[in-house]
Amino acid sequence: MRSFDPDDSNVVRPFPFFRAGVRADPSAANRPILVLEDVYKYFRADKPTLRGLNLTVERGEFLFVTGPSGAGKSTLLQLIYRKHTVEEGRILFCGRDIARLTSKSIPYLRRNLGVVFQDFKVVQHWTVFENVAIALEILDMPQRLVRSRVVETLERVGLGGRGGDRTSNLSGGEQQRVAVARAIVTEPALILADEPTGNLDPHLAIDILTLFEEVNETGTTVIFATHDHSLISKRDHRIISIEDGRVSEARRGLRSWSARDIISAADTKRGSGVHKHPVAV
Amino acid sequence: MDMKQLITRARRGLREEMRLYLVAVSSLAVAFLCLGGALLALTNLSAVARAWGQSSRMTVYLRDGAEAEDVAQLRALVEGLAEVRAVEHLSSEDARAQFLEHSDVEAGLAALPAEVFPASLEITLAQDTGAPRAARIAERIAQFRSVSDVETYRGWFSRLESLLQAGRAIAGALALLVALCVLAVIGNTIRLAVARRREEIEVMKLCGATDEFVRGPFVLEGSFQGFMSALLAVLLLMGGFLLVRDELDATVAALTGVRAAFLHPAALVGLTLGGAAVGAIGSALSLRRYMAV
Repeated sequence: MRSFDPDDSNVVRPFPFFRAGVRADPSAANRPILVLEDVYKYFRADKPTLRGLNLTVERGEFLFVTGPSGAGKSTLLQLIYRKHTVEEGRILFCGRDIARLTSKSIPYLRRNLGVVFQDFKVVQHWTVFENVAIALEILDMPQRLVRSRVVETLERVGLGGRGGDRTSNLSGGEQQRVAVARAIVTEPALILADEPTGNLDPHLAIDILTLFEEVNETGTTVIFATHDHSLISKRDHRIISIEDGRVSEARRGLRSWSARDIISAADTKRGSGVHKHPVAV
Repeated sequence: MDMKQLITRARRGLREEMRLYLVAVSSLAVAFLCLGGALLALTNLSAVARAWGQSSRMTVYLRDGAEAEDVAQLRALVEGLAEVRAVEHLSSEDARAQFLEHSDVEAGLAALPAEVFPASLEITLAQDTGAPRAARIAERIAQFRSVSDVETYRGWFSRLESLLQAGRAIAGALALLVALCVLAVIGNTIRLAVARRREEIEVMKLCGATDEFVRGPFVLEGSFQGFMSALLAVLLLMGGFLLVRDELDATVAALTGVRAAFLHPAALVGLTLGGAAVGAIGSALSLRRYMAV
């Protein structure tokens, strides 16, 4: 792995201590990995996409983000990986306000994130190996290590021995596994999954969800955005629901709150047109 | 990013966009060929100007039937000037013989009588004789009654100098035009390639690639295109030059007294490296808009 200058405060460096299973700094382990405070995002001046959104995500959590299409789920994730910048508020990732990062620092932020999309975003004319290896090559990792890490990760996502295949020859589910492999191969602190099962049939969707859960079990925090109620109803992870730019419902420990309850509660509120209790988690 | 990885990625890009790049290289080669041709013409014109500018000859044409005594007196006076290194008297017969020797003329012209060629005094001046001083000498010599005309060759030189000035301006404008052309063609080629590989760039940016990491292979590809185009143009120009050199030597060189020469090696290196540099710049400029992911 490349060495970094710890004195250079202009750039957010990769946080090796946030790798799954590695806790070099005990105090870091006690801080929430992600905190959003009063976040506003406007794409149209008269209609904010996110309005005063508050959210705290603890290390190692698996969080479902749900809500209707256009509610702001993707925007939330895009603000975290800095595709967009907040208009107001703060987003603290590992204690740093990523909303204030300079454009030069953004790559270093993203090296701590794994991002998976609905449309896979894998390079079709590359091989499976190349699609996964690029994440490590960006880190200047020696080729020998790249090879071993990629092979190991492909085994982990169920694509062992498929490294030489051209990605365009894979099925949708397999392509999404490639995307997951690329997201986890660097062992990031946080994985953002933006409707990763949206293009998959229900059976494959469960497979992919299980894959994310396995990644989460190794200590990686996962934020999984989906509007697929059937998917979240099968699991008891924490759920937040975004509606009209706010976290209108949020519950911890779904062992006591079922997904169905939350969804029906959200539906009731949507019917009344009132958001009585935007909840900061 | 290490160099090996950079080259590997650039090679992959070149392989994947081979047809697009071949078209671009051939278009650019034509542009570089125009520039190279202009430089070649300029080089040879400069060589002629240099040769003629350094020419310290003066020819004094004598009147028909000039008295030998007058000619001898004139010669003695000219030889007495500090700037004069040598004086040679050419009779009409000598002038005819010299013309026939240096010119590749038909038999008809060879039949011309000696009277057609005026007798002359061929004067060699010191190399450092300035144009004004030479003009004053010529003026003084022209006043002699045995002198019909004095040729200093300076008029030809000044006409060539103005031609060269124009040539340099044209070559400069052409160089600018070619540079813009190369920027545009490489920019468009890379833009096309980038558009086709937008997903690749997006993936890299999402994985935390810096702009330099993403840009590196594209800049290398652009630079390679520019270099190959310039090299191809140089090779074509050299081939063309070798084909016509003998012909040029037999015609133009006989008139000007200067043999045709190819571009100086430094100019060749400058052309190819300049091509590579312009290619790299064009590539970097065209990538800017795709970097915002």
